[in-house]
Amino acid sequence: MSLFFKSPVDIEILLDGEESRKHVDVLNSVGSKTLKDSIPLYEDGESLSGMVTLRVKEGKRVEHLGVKISVIGSIDMIKVNSSGGGNGGSTKRLSASSSSLSDSRKNPVEQFLCISYDLCPAGELQHAQSYSFMFKDLGKRYESYKGKNVDVSYYAKVTVIRKSTDIAKTKKFWVNIYNQVPVSPAAIITNTNPRPTNSRLSENSDAVNTGTNDNQNTIQTESSLRKEPQPVKLDIGIENCLHIEFEFSKSKYSLKDVIVGRIYFLLTRLKIKHMELSLITRESSGLHSSNYLIDSTAIRYEIMDGSPVKGETIPIRLFLGGYDLTPDMSCNYFNIKNYLSLVIVDEDGRRYFKQSEIVLYRTR
Amino acid sequence: MSYSETLEQAISTVKHQAVQMQRCLQQRKLMDALKYASIMLTELRKPDLSPKQYYELYILIFDSLSILSSYLVENHPKGHHLADLYELVQYAGNVIPRLYLMITVGTSYLKCPDSPREEILKDMIEMCRGVQNPIRGLFLRYYLSQRTKNLLPPDLFEFNANFVITNFIEMNKLWVRLQHTGPLRQREQRTRERKELQILVGSQLVRLSQIVDDNIQLYKDQILPTVLEQAVQCRDVVSQEYLLDAICQVFPDEFHLVTLDQLLNSTLHLNPEVSINKVILTLTDRLKGYMDRNEDDDSKKIDNNLFEVFWNYLKNLDEERPDLSLEQFVPLIESILGLSLRWYPNDLQKLNILYKFTTKKCKDYGKVIPSELEYLFLNLLTLKNENESGLLNANFYYEIVLQCDSFRDLLSIQSVALQRNIVSKLLDIFLQTSSETDTQANPSLVIDSKTKLDSLLSICETFIMDKSSVSAADKRKPQNDENNSNGIRTKNGSFDKPVLVNNNEENNENESSWKLDPDQEKLAKLCHLIIRSINKSLPEKKNIELQIELLFSIKAWFLKGGKNIKYTFPAIVTNFWKLIRMCHLLSIRSKSKKKLFYENLIKQLFKYASRCINDLFNICGSSFADSLYKLNIQSASLADQLSLGEIAYDFFSQAFTIFEEFLNDSRTQFQALVYMAQALQKTRSLHEDTYYNSLVVRCTLHSSKLLKKQDQCRAVYLCSHLWWATEIALIGEEEGITTDFYREGKRVLECLQRSLRIADSTMDNVQSSELMVEILNRCLYYFIHGNEHQTHVSVKYINGLIELIKTNLRSLKMEQTDIDIDPQRLSELHLDDPTLPLDTTFIIGMDGSYINVSQKSGPAPSITSKLNSTFLNEMIQIPIQHFNRTCEYIYDQREVDDRFKVIVI
Repeated sequence: MSLFFKSPVDIEILLDGEESRKHVDVLNSVGSKTLKDSIPLYEDGESLSGMVTLRVKEGKRVEHLGVKISVIGSIDMIKVNSSGGGNGGSTKRLSASSSSLSDSRKNPVEQFLCISYDLCPAGELQHAQSYSFMFKDLGKRYESYKGKNVDVSYYAKVTVIRKSTDIAKTKKFWVNIYNQVPVSPAAIITNTNPRPTNSRLSENSDAVNTGTNDNQNTIQTESSLRKEPQPVKLDIGIENCLHIEFEFSKSKYSLKDVIVGRIYFLLTRLKIKHMELSLITRESSGLHSSNYLIDSTAIRYEIMDGSPVKGETIPIRLFLGGYDLTPDMSCNYFNIKNYLSLVIVDEDGRRYFKQSEIVLYRTR
Repeated sequence: MSYSETLEQAISTVKHQAVQMQRCLQQRKLMDALKYASIMLTELRKPDLSPKQYYELYILIFDSLSILSSYLVENHPKGHHLADLYELVQYAGNVIPRLYLMITVGTSYLKCPDSPREEILKDMIEMCRGVQNPIRGLFLRYYLSQRTKNLLPPDLFEFNANFVITNFIEMNKLWVRLQHTGPLRQREQRTRERKELQILVGSQLVRLSQIVDDNIQLYKDQILPTVLEQAVQCRDVVSQEYLLDAICQVFPDEFHLVTLDQLLNSTLHLNPEVSINKVILTLTDRLKGYMDRNEDDDSKKIDNNLFEVFWNYLKNLDEERPDLSLEQFVPLIESILGLSLRWYPNDLQKLNILYKFTTKKCKDYGKVIPSELEYLFLNLLTLKNENESGLLNANFYYEIVLQCDSFRDLLSIQSVALQRNIVSKLLDIFLQTSSETDTQANPSLVIDSKTKLDSLLSICETFIMDKSSVSAADKRKPQNDENNSNGIRTKNGSFDKPVLVNNNEENNENESSWKLDPDQEKLAKLCHLIIRSINKSLPEKKNIELQIELLFSIKAWFLKGGKNIKYTFPAIVTNFWKLIRMCHLLSIRSKSKKKLFYENLIKQLFKYASRCINDLFNICGSSFADSLYKLNIQSASLADQLSLGEIAYDFFSQAFTIFEEFLNDSRTQFQALVYMAQALQKTRSLHEDTYYNSLVVRCTLHSSKLLKKQDQCRAVYLCSHLWWATEIALIGEEEGITTDFYREGKRVLECLQRSLRIADSTMDNVQSSELMVEILNRCLYYFIHGNEHQTHVSVKYINGLIELIKTNLRSLKMEQTDIDIDPQRLSELHLDDPTLPLDTTFIIGMDGSYINVSQKSGPAPSITSKLNSTFLNEMIQIPIQHFNRTCEYIYDQREVDDRFKVIVI
């Protein structure tokens, strides 16, 4: 819309040291093309400062009721839920202003951060004028995230308030949160399997790891962050057909970590074509959790070619650092979980798989 | 990433990507180069390739990766750090390209001085487990092996050995597993593919042998046990056979000598289908070769346990594997036998042990050894495979026969046909080598006692035996078996058949009594060989006594051959003759008492010879009469030469008896008389007691009683010589000096006249003329050698004869026909050769048959006894030409002898 009516005021936001700052490339799907935006990176508690420059056309005067700078963090979604019309009013208002910021299909459901102050009182703009701004030690609760249904986005916004339409300009920035203590304890096994596949892998010794010992697990895993990580052993199979031990070094990995493990074949009557390990990122969003589940495969990694015999051990080593992964996240509106999935494909093309949750966190 | 559809596409992709990769390397764009390399490597994921096709791809890729590797090494650490690259390439999504890249980068890193070698090597070999497909896995591990070849840390023997062994074990597992992939009906194809791939597995053993170098302890304690354990555990026939063979081939002899126990014991635990003998054969060949190679070195290093080790092994094997067939077992014994021969060439006791063991195995077998397995024993008993180099001489075999009781035992339990075959081969060796080497200087076998002779001849027993009786016995045996199994149905047939067979054979025997029998000939030769082999250094008397003893012994053995003695006894008789001559020589040299001894001995020996001839007569009877006749005459001649008239007469009379009773065929009779006449003419000792006269008269009488006129005629004119002794220079006679020649010209003339009468009465006028010319020749002989007064063959008589011949020849010529008239001959002429006239020539044989000798080298001469009017013209030429030649002779003689001038031609 702003393309048709040329704005009388040109707003420029420059962040301090933007050139030298680390940037993050984020996919920006505008229309059909996928472009990458390079966005400066900030972290929790870091001050956000910069300079705003307002320019008017030569010889023109622009009256205004004041200029305001705000920093906003918001959670946006495409679908909230079917009965989510309750806060529709606020959504509408917000959407108008943020249309250019992010996926136009996504609507803010919550602004968890919104701090603003006036840069100058009401008056008249005749020449270009610059104002510096500063949000000191700005707390940022969530990581920036760009998902299928959910986005977490941060931006600075300058608004020139007028009697008629306000003139606004935003500047995105990206937030990574380091040393994040894993939010959800490793509920290692989830037997929920939403996909209609012919997976038949089942837990043989599930009692030990699931349900009953949930609390213990929590304690274990929290303490394990400080101590030596416990290796995870899964004993899985199909009766009289396949029996394997799936073992990996720990249940929590930083994004730069390496997953090391092994598959031990206790029994195999399948004619296996190959076996791969994949990392699946599950985004669940909505007001009531797990309303919308969207899985995306972040890594596919073949670890075995051909069919082993009883007694073979297949090594696993997967470097995570080279992939663009999302750490686990959780808030009221959505959460992100990661699963390690072992997929066995037999010669007839049947797929057998086993998923196991792992926690990913970001370190510096 | 996906691979190409066809092999061709795959090859072109690989080539294309390789070019791209190199271009990027030249531009120093490593990341791009790695990307192309990874696309290239994706082709190695392609399934359904045969080993050969996969190898084709592998080779292409190997070369390209070598280029990449050298780039990586050159630019480390300035352009990049290989440790980083080692991590980087692990992001490849597919396991095969990832591992090839890892190995390429990892081994490049190994070349750099500061790299953590052991970690890299361990990691690479561990990660290779990700490929479980047999073919792809084998090639991947082969790649690892090739790349790390010269890069293993030089000082860590054990680490390196473990590295290669681990790789070997995994490769072997994959290789074995290949057998069990795919559908069952492709099993054979799998086996074939595995054979193609075996070299990949074997290469690991070669690597091991390079690593172990000369560290015998490492080999014995670690490498060999691990490798053997792997081989035993995989329980796969192809693998076990190949691996054990490879172990034997790859590692040095010295190692095998030390670890023989381990190696042999492992074969006890192999899959029952594995042919152990192949393995053992390889091993023994190696050890034999070791002897060859170390001939010059101090061969005292020889471990004297070698035979014990093998022998114990053999006993163990026998206990642990009662299922092993003879077919498996015997070659195994044979190879150990060969080894023993090479290592302990003089220790026949070791051979004896082995033969004894084999004998036991045969007896355990219980049943009749099937004929298709007989070759095993043939090889074993003739040492066929060991004798290829000709190392073993007759003497060696002889020693075996004498010293190895079990050799004889084993031989004796073989089937008769096989025994004959084996003995025949042995005899060949005895006879052949003894004829080659100088028997005088270095006799190949020395028989100096009767016991030795007996053990030698005892193995020949079946050979001596009558073949027909043997083969009949052999034939009957299976028929009886058949009868048993088939029950009543064949009852009739089986009783009739053997009888029929026997009849046929006997008939055959009678019809062709003198078939050449190479087997019996060998025995005869053996007889000579034995006698010749007697140590010459013995005192003469002892020597002769021993010879007689041995001859009796031989005779006793040969007598078992039944009718076969007709082939063998003449050899014995001949040897008696030789002995007689020897005694005679000795008696001449010695004096009084000794002389008497020898003279008595000679008489005794004649009796022995006569005894042999009698045995021959009793057993072979009339079928052998001709030879008996000659043997008698020969003996008589010998006796005569030694002035033993009585004995000579006895033999002659024996000969006449045989002639009168058994020589019925007219042709044989003629020949026999000629033979007799020439023997008689040379006798000198029969004149006492008018022995000579009675014999001569009898001979002439028989001559005149022959069936055919022409035979009569010739025999009679030949008998004329019996009254006209001529000089024998050997006993000092000389024409003109010796005066006591037995000559009665009157009788000579009588014979000539008589033969002329017979010739004249012959109806065949060509023959008749020819005979007359022959008589003319005879007359001229006497004319030359004596004066008319003595011989009674006068000029007048000769001239009359010539006149008679001329008349006859004239009348013959009248019969001559014009050549062109005969149409049959024309056509023949035309057929054979249209350009040249067929020049057929006839000559006449000794027995009066016409022999057609074509002048060109055409078909063999044809013989007819009848006058053929087709060729009358040519046949007429025979007497004419003969006469012409005789006349020419007379002309020529006129120059030297005036008497001939009186003869009118």
